[in-house]
Amino acid sequence: MTNINGKAYAMNAITPMRAWKSPILRLIFWLAPLFGLTDLKNLSFIHFARWVIVPHDKFPWLGGKQPRESVQSDYMLFFSNFNGTWNQYIDAFSAVLSKGLNYFWCWSDKFPGSVPVTGFKKYIARVQFDTDFYYNPYPYAATNDVKAAHRVQAALDDFAAKSANMTEQQFAEAYLHFLIRVQNDLGALGPAPEGT
Amino acid sequence: MGNQSGQSYGLTILSPIINNGSRAAAQDLALRHHLSKLANGEHSPFAKVPGTHFVRLVVMGDVVFVGYPARDEHLKSQYLICTADFDGELDPYLQTLARTIPAELDAIWKHCVGYPGATDPAKFAEYIKKCQVETTLYFSDVNDRTLEQTLKALLVKTAVTAFAERYQGQPASVVQPAFKKFLTELSQTPAPRPGAAGI
Amino acid sequence: MELNLCDLQGFVARGYSGRSFPVASFLLARIHDAASGREFLGRILAEITTGQLWNGKKPGSTLNAGFTYAGLAQLGLPEPTLQSFPVEFVQGMKSRGKILGDTGADDPANWETIWQQDGNVHMWIGIYAESKAALEDRCRKISAAMLETRGATVLQTQEAGALVIGGEVSTKEHFGYSDGFGNPDIQGLCRKPTPGQGKLTDHGKWVPLATGEYLIGYPDEACELPVSPIPYLLASNGTYMVYRKLHENVATFRKFLKERGGQYGGGEKKLAAKLVGRWLDGTPLELSPDTENIDIVKDDARNTNFTYGKDSDGARCPLGSHIRRTNPRDAFGFSGQLVNRRRIMRRGLPYGTYVPDDQPVRDDGEHGIIFMALCASLFRQFEFIQQQWVQHGNDAHLGNDKDPLLGNQCDQDRFVIPGDTTPKNPPFVCPHLPDFVNLLGGEYFFLPSITALRMIAEGGVDPR
Repeated sequence: MTNINGKAYAMNAITPMRAWKSPILRLIFWLAPLFGLTDLKNLSFIHFARWVIVPHDKFPWLGGKQPRESVQSDYMLFFSNFNGTWNQYIDAFSAVLSKGLNYFWCWSDKFPGSVPVTGFKKYIARVQFDTDFYYNPYPYAATNDVKAAHRVQAALDDFAAKSANMTEQQFAEAYLHFLIRVQNDLGALGPAPEGT
Repeated sequence: MGNQSGQSYGLTILSPIINNGSRAAAQDLALRHHLSKLANGEHSPFAKVPGTHFVRLVVMGDVVFVGYPARDEHLKSQYLICTADFDGELDPYLQTLARTIPAELDAIWKHCVGYPGATDPAKFAEYIKKCQVETTLYFSDVNDRTLEQTLKALLVKTAVTAFAERYQGQPASVVQPAFKKFLTELSQTPAPRPGAAGI
Repeated sequence: MELNLCDLQGFVARGYSGRSFPVASFLLARIHDAASGREFLGRILAEITTGQLWNGKKPGSTLNAGFTYAGLAQLGLPEPTLQSFPVEFVQGMKSRGKILGDTGADDPANWETIWQQDGNVHMWIGIYAESKAALEDRCRKISAAMLETRGATVLQTQEAGALVIGGEVSTKEHFGYSDGFGNPDIQGLCRKPTPGQGKLTDHGKWVPLATGEYLIGYPDEACELPVSPIPYLLASNGTYMVYRKLHENVATFRKFLKERGGQYGGGEKKLAAKLVGRWLDGTPLELSPDTENIDIVKDDARNTNFTYGKDSDGARCPLGSHIRRTNPRDAFGFSGQLVNRRRIMRRGLPYGTYVPDDQPVRDDGEHGIIFMALCASLFRQFEFIQQQWVQHGNDAHLGNDKDPLLGNQCDQDRFVIPGDTTPKNPPFVCPHLPDFVNLLGGEYFFLPSITALRMIAEGGVDPR
């Protein structure tokens, strides 16, 4: 199944919007980072995600024999690289980020709201389309593992610098502190659980 | 700036696929077939391009119809969507991309309208920018570390765990010299290759 | 909200305490055909124990029943109804093996014979009793009904019961852990919320979970009705049960504790506590990180009343310990909303005879737990916990590390105990975790309400 590579799932979704709504959505997207995407960071299961508004008259046109598009709706594309199963991902969003989801998607035609979750999942299944090729340079690492790795690296660099000229006694103490600092970042890397 | 977050860049391009005339154009099928056979993991062409995190290639045949009262409308062309998450700025990355894997890029994008080939990086970059759509909102969980740093850190994490396990309960007289040796070995170990086994 | 306790099966409404009903038999049966099967069910219907309060008149034994998908099909439920059951129940537990991590030593190839063939077991009959005599009496009556109606045959009688340790009925299982804490409070079923059992409000108060997390036919924590079979009357007040026979490798466990406990600064008993999150006597590590405390254990207002907010490093209760993995409480933030829909009601019981600590024991002895968990959605609750929290560690930020007790370990698996600078609580890595528990088989069952049982017995399920 090409949507999945290791622990990452590539979700693609396209939703139509009445063109007059796009500027409102653009404003919301512009404001979103100012309000902080901290909830997304705290959920901690997305590597990268993006929202793209393609205005009805801005589908790339390369000239030649390519006809110009004549669709009337604007389209929002959503691309996510997330960890966990499809169901887990949508359950989590519906449970804790329903407001944010609604701000982003309520402009899309026929969006049923992110709560209750079953109708929301039906909608996503309708607007999701599959990936043909998905490349992941660290398939055995979820974003949690990546962040843990960077924490361990930073802790090691600190400890290495500090302990360069320590006595045995000092080293013993500093090593204990180093272990305590990294102790919850030592989970093994490996494949994702199988199944939905 | 929509396309960027910290030092991460989110490139989104929609490349119209050549339409041979019939609705079931051969180009999109050939492209899908090619993508299904494209090497992945450490043998993937994208593994050769420094700074490349995630890449996806998706043939989008048409827009979706979500039901009345949404419009039932259709695109006149199919599009090859490519999203890439990479380190740094767009221009240098496109240069590197074209220089590193021109043949593989050609094999994919030759199915697309107006593709000039990757032998001339400047023309390649120009084409990509014509196909680029602005990423309106971009989220990057880790936007301040490069691919190289990430791969090395993942190796370090595993190595530190093994070291902690091995030297557990040993006195400092043993651990201290072992740790010095460990650091030296680590500094001499290159970062794992992208897509390598175990990473 | 008042639930109609007379319409719930007693096993669902309250379960039966080991003190009052120390012995049990689970009859795993096969139904012969629709007509005689329904007759058999009709025959035992009046004997089924309901959730009605006993008010002092406790019976000598109880009787409850559940059906697999194959069993419901054999009883002749109409096709549209059968198709309206959730996918995982229809497929059966064996087919879900990849999701549950039932591979390697836990692969169905290693299961008891009755569980190996798809759709072999049709019915679960649960009998709890105050004595062996009462148990045998009830079993005889069931067998007689089966013979008279020629409706069913018992494939296997699984004996189970509270372990008798030092002459006393105990709540311990074979590894020595006191079990049975922390079942969820459910709206309409719990008379008084027990702190720590329900969900935590933003004001720090413990309140019961939505009824629909446990019983079918009611709104759940996501404010919708979980997938229910049609018609509504068949589904309402019913629930699903996962039944898993878990063999415990007691010799391996004791050897592990001795060896690693000798290396671990906190000692053997504390190591045992760190694996689970409770000391052997049931004291939560979170409330008493250094010693057992029987006063806390005996006090229902305290023994499950804790959160992990002040222990984000896991220096008291490790992030990867069994109870913290399977019920993270407030550990994920977001007002517990990522946890409230992942709770299950445990009704398990040990089987076999307890071997005291100071006596030799073998891994292949009859030692284990009949794990039974009830929930409104096997997929969203039990299967999710098993797949994501037991066999995997990403949500606990522990990568691929597994539950140290229940996880399907292979030689590379390890358990990291976070610590602090105190000598009795150091950081410690337990490498090469052995496989302490092996799966011998099991299945998914539907436990209908009393009304639904009658509908099935009378062949009165209306096809849509």
